[in-house]
Parts: sequence; C-alpha cells; structure tokens
Amino acid sequence: MLQEVRVGLLPALRDARGEEVLYEVRTALGIESVETVRTVKVYRFEGIDEQAARLLAEQLLSEAVFQEYRVNEPLITDADRLIEVAYRPGVMNPEAGSLMKAAADLGVKGLIAADSSLEYAFFGHLSDRELETITRRLLVNETVQHVVNKKPETLLLGGEPGRTMIIPIRTMNDAELAALSADRLFLNLEEMRLIQDYFRRVERDPTDAEVEILAQTWSEHCVHKTFKARIIVDGKEKKPFLTRLREATADVARQDLVLSAFVDNSGVMRFYDGWAICGKVETHNAPSAIEPYGGAATGSGGVFRDIMGTGQGAKVIASTDIFCFAPPETPPETIPAGCLHPHYLLRRVVAGVRDYGNRMGIPTNNGSVHFHPDFRAKPSVIVGSYGMIPADRAQKGRPRPGDKVVVAGGRTGRDGIHGATFSSAAMTDRTITVNAQAVQIGHAIEEKRMADALLAARDEGLVRAITDCGAGGFASAVGEMGAETGVLIRLDRAPLKYTGLAPWEILLSESQERMVAAVAPENVLRFMELCRDHNVEAVVLGEFTDTGRFEAYHDKEKVLDLEMEFLHHGLPQRVLSCTFNPPDLTEPEILLPVDWAEVCCRVMSHLNICSKEPIVRVYDHGVQGTNALPPYGGVAADGPNDAVVLTPILGKPYGMVIAHGLNPVLNKIDAYWGGIWAAAEAVANAVAVGADPQELALIDNFIWPVPDGEFLAYLDRAVDACADFSRAMNLPFISGKDSLSSTYKGKEAVIHIPPVLCISVFGRLPDVAGTVTADLKREESLLLLVGNRREEEMGGSIYYDIHGHLGKTVPRIDLKKLPEVLLAVHSAIRSGAVLACHDVSEGGLLAALAEMAFGGGFGAEIELPEGVRPDFFLFNETAGCFVLELAPGTDPGVLPAGVPYVVLGKTIPEPDLRFRRNARPLFAVSLARLRAAYQRPMKEVFGA
Amino acid sequence: MRPPVIIMRTDGTNCDVETAYAFELAGGAPRLVHVNQLRNGKEKLDRYRILAIPGGFSYGDDVHSGKILAVELTSFLREEISGFVAAGGLVLGICNGFQVLVRTGLLPFGEIGPVRTTLMVNDSARFECRWVRLRVEQSPCVFTRGAAGQVVEFQVAHGEGRFFTENATLEEIESRGLVAFRYVDAGGNLTQEYPYNPNGSLNAIAGITDPSGRIMGLMPHPERNILPHHHPNWRRLKDYLPAGRFVFENAVAAAKEA
Repeated sequence: MLQEVRVGLLPALRDARGEEVLYEVRTALGIESVETVRTVKVYRFEGIDEQAARLLAEQLLSEAVFQEYRVNEPLITDADRLIEVAYRPGVMNPEAGSLMKAAADLGVKGLIAADSSLEYAFFGHLSDRELETITRRLLVNETVQHVVNKKPETLLLGGEPGRTMIIPIRTMNDAELAALSADRLFLNLEEMRLIQDYFRRVERDPTDAEVEILAQTWSEHCVHKTFKARIIVDGKEKKPFLTRLREATADVARQDLVLSAFVDNSGVMRFYDGWAICGKVETHNAPSAIEPYGGAATGSGGVFRDIMGTGQGAKVIASTDIFCFAPPETPPETIPAGCLHPHYLLRRVVAGVRDYGNRMGIPTNNGSVHFHPDFRAKPSVIVGSYGMIPADRAQKGRPRPGDKVVVAGGRTGRDGIHGATFSSAAMTDRTITVNAQAVQIGHAIEEKRMADALLAARDEGLVRAITDCGAGGFASAVGEMGAETGVLIRLDRAPLKYTGLAPWEILLSESQERMVAAVAPENVLRFMELCRDHNVEAVVLGEFTDTGRFEAYHDKEKVLDLEMEFLHHGLPQRVLSCTFNPPDLTEPEILLPVDWAEVCCRVMSHLNICSKEPIVRVYDHGVQGTNALPPYGGVAADGPNDAVVLTPILGKPYGMVIAHGLNPVLNKIDAYWGGIWAAAEAVANAVAVGADPQELALIDNFIWPVPDGEFLAYLDRAVDACADFSRAMNLPFISGKDSLSSTYKGKEAVIHIPPVLCISVFGRLPDVAGTVTADLKREESLLLLVGNRREEEMGGSIYYDIHGHLGKTVPRIDLKKLPEVLLAVHSAIRSGAVLACHDVSEGGLLAALAEMAFGGGFGAEIELPEGVRPDFFLFNETAGCFVLELAPGTDPGVLPAGVPYVVLGKTIPEPDLRFRRNARPLFAVSLARLRAAYQRPMKEVFGA
Repeated sequence: MRPPVIIMRTDGTNCDVETAYAFELAGGAPRLVHVNQLRNGKEKLDRYRILAIPGGFSYGDDVHSGKILAVELTSFLREEISGFVAAGGLVLGICNGFQVLVRTGLLPFGEIGPVRTTLMVNDSARFECRWVRLRVEQSPCVFTRGAAGQVVEFQVAHGEGRFFTENATLEEIESRGLVAFRYVDAGGNLTQEYPYNPNGSLNAIAGITDPSGRIMGLMPHPERNILPHHHPNWRRLKDYLPAGRFVFENAVAAAKEA
C-alpha cells in the first residue's frame, strides 16, 4: 500500500501561500465567506513501509523548526473544507525525481514511485458552489490537474504498448479522408489526397506512424505553407512572403554582422573577441490558451532549446516575454466557450515564464504586455531567447552516414502529442477537451543540467550538429537532421516515462527537455560520459544513413519507411490570392480636454501604458551577473527603461542590447504603417539606451488571424513593411516565425485577434559606459523632442481609445528621415551630452515625460508650441521620436544640422509636470497623482 | 599565491559562473566542481581553502529550497565537510547556498546536524528580484571584516528567504553576535517593512555567520555588485565603487592567512 506523509506549518505560523490563495478568492472571485486558507503538502511513496516513510518525513520532508507532519493520517482535522489537488496520472511531476533521489541518498531501499500534491484547507462557511468555483477557477486546471477524492491504489502507470495500425488510405473516399484528418491531422483534402496518391504509387497502405509524421511535417506550424505560398494580390502575383524577407536581408548584405540567418534554430551575429550572439523569438499561443502555466513555461523551455540547438550549441544568456491578452476586467460572460478568462491567463502565463526562466538561471529583462478585447479569442504569448557562442562553433556540421543519433535529456511520454498540428488549427469551443494532451508542464532543471552537459560536449568538439526536440518530437528533429542523408532510428530504445506508448506516439511525442545530436561514432563514449557526469540520461537512438529514407523500427517491426524527398518536398506550393480593401474608418471629432490632468491620468492608467513592474519583479533579471541596464531604474526603481543592456563576457565592457516593438491595434487600421511602426519602435528602443542603429539585427514574429480574405491582404502589407524597413535602415532580418491561427471559431461567434507583428531587435555596442537610462538626472536640464512626426496622425492612439475611437490615419513614419534621426540621437548619446533619453511611443510625449520624471523624482516645465493642437502634441504616438535630457546650457547644436527637434522646456525641482502655452500656464499635474494612476492596474491584478 | 576556491555546482545551480568570477577578481583561484565529482572522488574538498555554494535552484528546490542538496551533502560528504571546516576552510553560501547551509546545520552553529534555523516562503508568497539596503553588522564573520556599520546595496532574487527560527535559537544567535547582514530602510534602520525587508525575515536578518566567523550565508547576492555597471543607478552615482567586492576580498585574504 502507499505511504502518505502530510507536512504543514506549525499552527502558530502564518501560511503565506494560503494567504495568497485567500487574496485571490476575495479579489479575483469576490468570495467573502472564506476566512482562512492553510496549505498542506502531501507526499506519497510506493514500495516502502511506514518506518521508512517516517524517516523520510523527519530527514527530508519536514523541518521541526517550523513544520509538523503526520504519516498515513490527516494533518488538519478542523477545516470546513479540504481539497487535495494533484497532477493527473501521466503528467510528469518534476518533484517526483527529487524525492526518489533524496530517498536513495538517505539509504531508503525499495522505493519504486513517489508523488507529491497540495491540500488546501478552507475555514469559513463557504457553499458547495463557492468551493466549486474556487476549485475550478483557482486551484485546478483540468488539462493537467485533478482533485484527489480517494487515496490512489498505485502511482505506477502502465499498460501494454499500443500496436501499430495500418490505415487503409488507398481505398478511402473523400469523406473518409476528411474524417481521418479532422481533430487529428489538420490537413486539408488536397493534402490528404496527395498522401493517398503516394501510397497508391508505392502499392501499400501506410502505418499510423507514417500518416502522423506526414501530417506533422506538413503542418503550418512546421512547414509555414502560407509564408512559402505564391501570393496573388488584386490579380497580380507577388513573391512569397518568406522570399521577400530573405531578399531584403540579402540586399542589405551585412556580412560584417550576420553569421547565419534563417538557416538555423536562431539567427547569429558577430559579437567581440571571437564570440557571436544569437536570437530567436517564438510563440506558444495555443498551449498557453488552454494551460497558461505549462504553456508559457514550455514556451520558454522550447525557445531556450532553440538557442541550445544553434550551431554546435549556444549558451542561453537572456529571455524576453511579450504578451497580448483581453483586459483582466473582461466580464466572464463575454469569454467564448472553451476559452479561459484573461485575468487567470495573465497571472498563470507570468508564473510559467517566471518559474522556467528563474530556475534555468536565464535573466528575463525585456518584454511588454498589450491588451485588446479581441485577444479573448486567443492570447498571444511571445517568448524570446538570446545566446552566446564562439563564432567558430556557430555553424552546424552536416551529419554523415554512420554518425549516431543521440537523444539526451528528459524521457518520452504521451505529452504534447499533436502539438504541431494542433498549433496550426484555429481555436474552437472543442479545443480544450479534444487537445488537452497537447499541453504539459515543464521541468526547468532537467533542461538546465542538459544545457550544462551539452556545452561541455560542445567545448570538447564532440557535437557535429544538434537540434531540439520541439513540435513534432523525434519525427521533426531527426527527420530534419537526416533530410540530406537518410536516417534509421529504433523507437524501442527511447527511454519512456511509462509503458504503454504506441510506436507512433514515441515518434510524435513532444515531451519537453529533449535534444537530438549528431555525434561521430568515435565521440559517442565521451559524449555519454559527460551526460552521466551531469545526471543527464542519453541514448543512441539510431544512426544516419545514405538511403535518403526515414526509417524507424520498434523492436523487429518496421513502423516507418518514407522517402525524405516526399516527406520534405512532397507538399506542393500553395497559391493564395486576396484583394485589399482598406477598412472603412473615419477620423473622430474630439474637443480639447477641459480637465487635462484627468486625461493624463486616464492615459497613464491605460492597460497598454501602465506600469508592468509587478510582473518584472518576479523575474530574476540579475542572474548571470550581466545586467548593465535594468528594466526599471531611477531613484525609486520604478522608472521604465526602453531596452536591456547586458555584458555577456564578465569583466569586458562589450554590451548586448535587446529591445522590441509591437502595436497590434494599428494593424487593424493599416497593417503596412502598423508594421513600420513596430519595427521603428523596436529600433528606437535600442537606440534610446545608446545602441548604434547600424549594429543591430531584426527578428519578426507574425501572430495573425487565420489568413483568409482580408487578413491575407493585411499580412501581405505587413510583410512588405518589414522588407521596406530592412532596406531603408540597412538592417537584416536574421530569424522569424509566423503563427497564423489566432481566430476563434465557436458555435455562436467568430473572433479574430488584432493582427500582431512583433519586431525584436538585438545588437552589440563596444562599451556599456556609453549607454544611458530614461530617468531624469538633474534639475534645470534642457529637454528636447527629437524626430519627425505629423501630430494629427492620431489613428490607433491611446488618446483616441480613451475617447472610444479607433481613428483612420496612423503615424506614417518617414523612412528617409528615420535613419538620420537615429544616428543623430546615437551620436549625441555617444558624445556624453545626453543625461537621459526615452523614446516616444504609446501615450506619446506625455507618457514619455512622466516615465522619465518618475525615475528622476522631480518634474519638468514644458512650453507647448503654437499652431499645433496641444492634445495631439502631447499624445501623438509616432515611433522614432525621442525625449532627450541635456545638461543645462548645452547647445542643441550637438545634434547634426537637418535633424528635426523642438526645445520642450526644462526640468524643475518640483514633483510636477507643468505645461504652458502662449506664455500662460495651461495645466499642471503632480507626479504622485500620475504615478498612482500608472501603477494601479497591475497592482490590482497581481496584488503587489 | 591565489587560494583555491571550489564553486560547488549541481543540477539547477545557476549563479556559479558569476560567483567564480567574483573570486577571480578578488584574487582567488576558483574552480567549478559538480557535486558528483566530489562523490566519485575525482575531486577532493581538502585541496581547497574556500568552499562556495552559489545561488540557483538546486534540484529544483523541491521539497524545500536547498533541501535535496543538503541531504546529499550530509549523506555523502559529512566527514569531508566537517574536516574542511575543522581545518579552517572558509564556507560561503549565497541565496540557494545559504538555504543549503542552514539545512545541513552548518549555520548557525558550525556543525552538521539538526536544522536549527530555516528560510521560509517570503511573506509576499512571491519570488521577487529587487535591490535592497543592508547594514553590515558587528560579528566574528571574516567575510565582513572591516565593513561593520556600512550600509550596502545588493540584489535579492528569491521566493524562500524569510529567516525564521524559534525564540531560544534567535536569542542565542543575537547574544553571540552571529548576524552578519540586516535589511534596513532608506534611513539605515533595520526594518520589517516591505519591500525594504523583502521577505519578512525575523529581526531583519539577511545573513548570518557561525561562531568561528568562517562560515557565512546570506540571501542577497554580493556577486551581482562587483562591477562598475552592476548597480541599477550607477549612472546617477559619482565614482561608484561596487559594494559587493569586500565579501570575496575578505575571504581570499583570510584564506591566505590561514
């Protein structure tokens, strides 16, 4: 029988975790009947007796200083309600491995399985319905967790290995092909027919493994059918999206910078002293939509492995996170069936990114959160990762026939089956129930020790090529590595989390924390030894061949035998056509504000502007000791900066800068100028801290509604924007990703998210001493507004939004002028004349000034020019404009001639923002009031 | 000669490189060693003068932060560590390393054995990363030699840092002057107030030493304040000297004397 140990705090001590739950019960759910919540950790052990369990309780599980324990009996007996929440059987509990290890270290014999869970004790007269609500909304996510009602019989999972099925595809009619595809393969009828034709040609029916691997390899997620398709707009054919981006990068020809673009798991650029830096930005929208904690955590884990799988293996040195949600206060009844509430999504996604990044020891210090009601259809969860690698190890070697296929890291389970195909499908009201298994929770420590082992192997030159097991699992990782040669693997060799997996499941499983390496036979022993030294499990799964085929066996049974040619090139190029009709919009009539201060506060407390500090504080941004410019700074550490600057080589002055830009709502109005805005904002953020606008590389992420009809035309314009920007700025795109399924198709509603184009940028600078923060540094300084804008271009602005308008004309950034402005700001910062710099974006000049003043702790007096509407002057959001603080008496002539600028005014000792017009005061507002408005929204969500 | 420093790593250690760099900068000869290398005898503790257990999430901080590693050390390296301490070796635990040291018993009273003090979940119930002010206390600690009375700023980054123990032990720690660092407010006074005291530690205790002064653990990260650009507001400060260096410089100096 199982031994149960319950551990809780001594009754006299306050239970911080319990109080956290109580806070959510009251604030998020508005349930007042609960008076106290206490938590009890429950451990279960199989194969040991009660005496051994008692030893574990005393030596490992509890500490008498502050805890008490019970063996095989309840700990809290006087609670009004008791709920135990555990992971579902089959969902890997990361703690189980540690329990097994520590028990072994303590000399406990016979333990065959261990598990842990959490018991919540509720005190107070809560009703059944209230308990049900608390359980469902706060404590349990049913895709991975369940309520334990009776003590389990066993912790072991088992079952006979599933058998390989033959799919009689050759004889199927169209209806049968469609049925086979639905909810499982997500291929269209034309693609299903191609598979049918292939097997008619080879005169046999496929195994389930073969059908699954084709569906996976041909999924939008993996093959990017839309970005490779022929595009016909308004009857005229244009080049495929991907071609346009790559041609722009080829035209700017930055060989001085780029070491690899689009060919590897991340884009690589030169750094200094023989080092290179690399970047990759991924999305994990679909998994995060149904299990936000695990979805976001494994999103981080996946993009970290993209860095680890770059060249011969890079070290992960930074992480970024950019989210789009519906507003947290969205009424629950307006959330479509099958979707989760944004308040819960936001908190859980942040927790997932926090736990994975912090445990891996990756500083997370750049990101943003955007809100729009239509993101209730599907959130956008964008996770970026950056790395460092010796330049001479930045290129992958080609696997050679005879090289071993080595898989290292976590074991394979039923996790994430169909992740790739599922990510390519639109959300529906059935998504949560049908695709629950496509999500899992991550195991950051498994990935950390694997990263340590693989870096050691790289440094000894043992790795010919390496890639991560992401979407599509072995099928994708091994299939791509062996595409040029051929490969044969033996699925029965893969270490499994539990028995009972069918061969196709082992092949397709997306279990996290696994990497695949091509290792020359003579290096295999040493590679294995290094893995053992780091407690990493590794096996030889098979070897690369010269057959040009992808073959897989399970024991004696051949379950897969496909030509690489058909697998990777059998899918015909799609032809997509659309016509572009600009949306029918009008410019609103807005009167000048009467209560200016109130309008400023409404802008500062807008969800897209308000402080995200409560989120940033739960991420470790100092680990690795590299931070040289933090996300928040200033006298009270609450002034936001535009970008992060790291010194990846400790003791060297070399800086790496990371920034990004996006503004989804602009793309609803005009996806071309919205795209230009996003790219300009990303680069401006980097330049604002001192980056050289000529030493940057770009990464694109398109998160789009299903691209049919108008959304394909919007996408076409957004891609043109990227290509035009790249050429105008002479900056290369070196990595990118598209996720084109963010449409909700429910019974009662179809909802499209606002199209998201997120541009990330990273680059190098020779000395971090030449960087600058946004916080105002001293009184009596000169304040300048630098850059080119037309104040009346207010479309999509926060100012319009708080008046309930969208508008028609978005900022059309001058691509000829922008490079001059960026260079001018950069050289001014380099000259040391700039005390503080902040770029103008959402919320316009007002938001920029307020944020600079928060950091400095004192105010500014601004003279608004005549001939311009003062509200437009304050709230216009044209990216690529900057506020500069110059020491008193500095001549604005530090800026090169021809660079447009306005002298705004000066900093003042008083903690106010004061605005004058026609030499008369227009209005003033105190920093205290602005700060309160700025900080309120996220404090409310996170209880910080 | 540079005293050899062993930076002990295991699964989930993640502040090892910068901690090694801090010792390097201070004149030590750091080496990253996985605990497996000590267990299988490929590495020996007695070859070193300083043992540093860096920050991170050893074994995921499962069960309790630092617990699984503490169990491993007390199960397999008890004699080696006791011998190392008896021979005057220095021991430094930062963040997760501090959690490990209290769970081996080495802190506060210098002997592997029962857990006398603990580090609980922060009062905020959250992992938090922020800069805090610390007062260096008068104590026998060699790592803080000559710094007593100073107020320094280090970064904290933890979810389980609330120093706690029962009254008798707390009184003994105080009466024997074993507190090395306390959280203080803007005025330099020790405080229970959030966020100055970021986790609700008893008596605002951020770090303690053993009676010999040669074992120290603290939650904040001195190794994150050793370079001119580490402080979040270094651009606002004139001729700023990184305040974390003395911890490592004192350790190296003491290791040379012994």
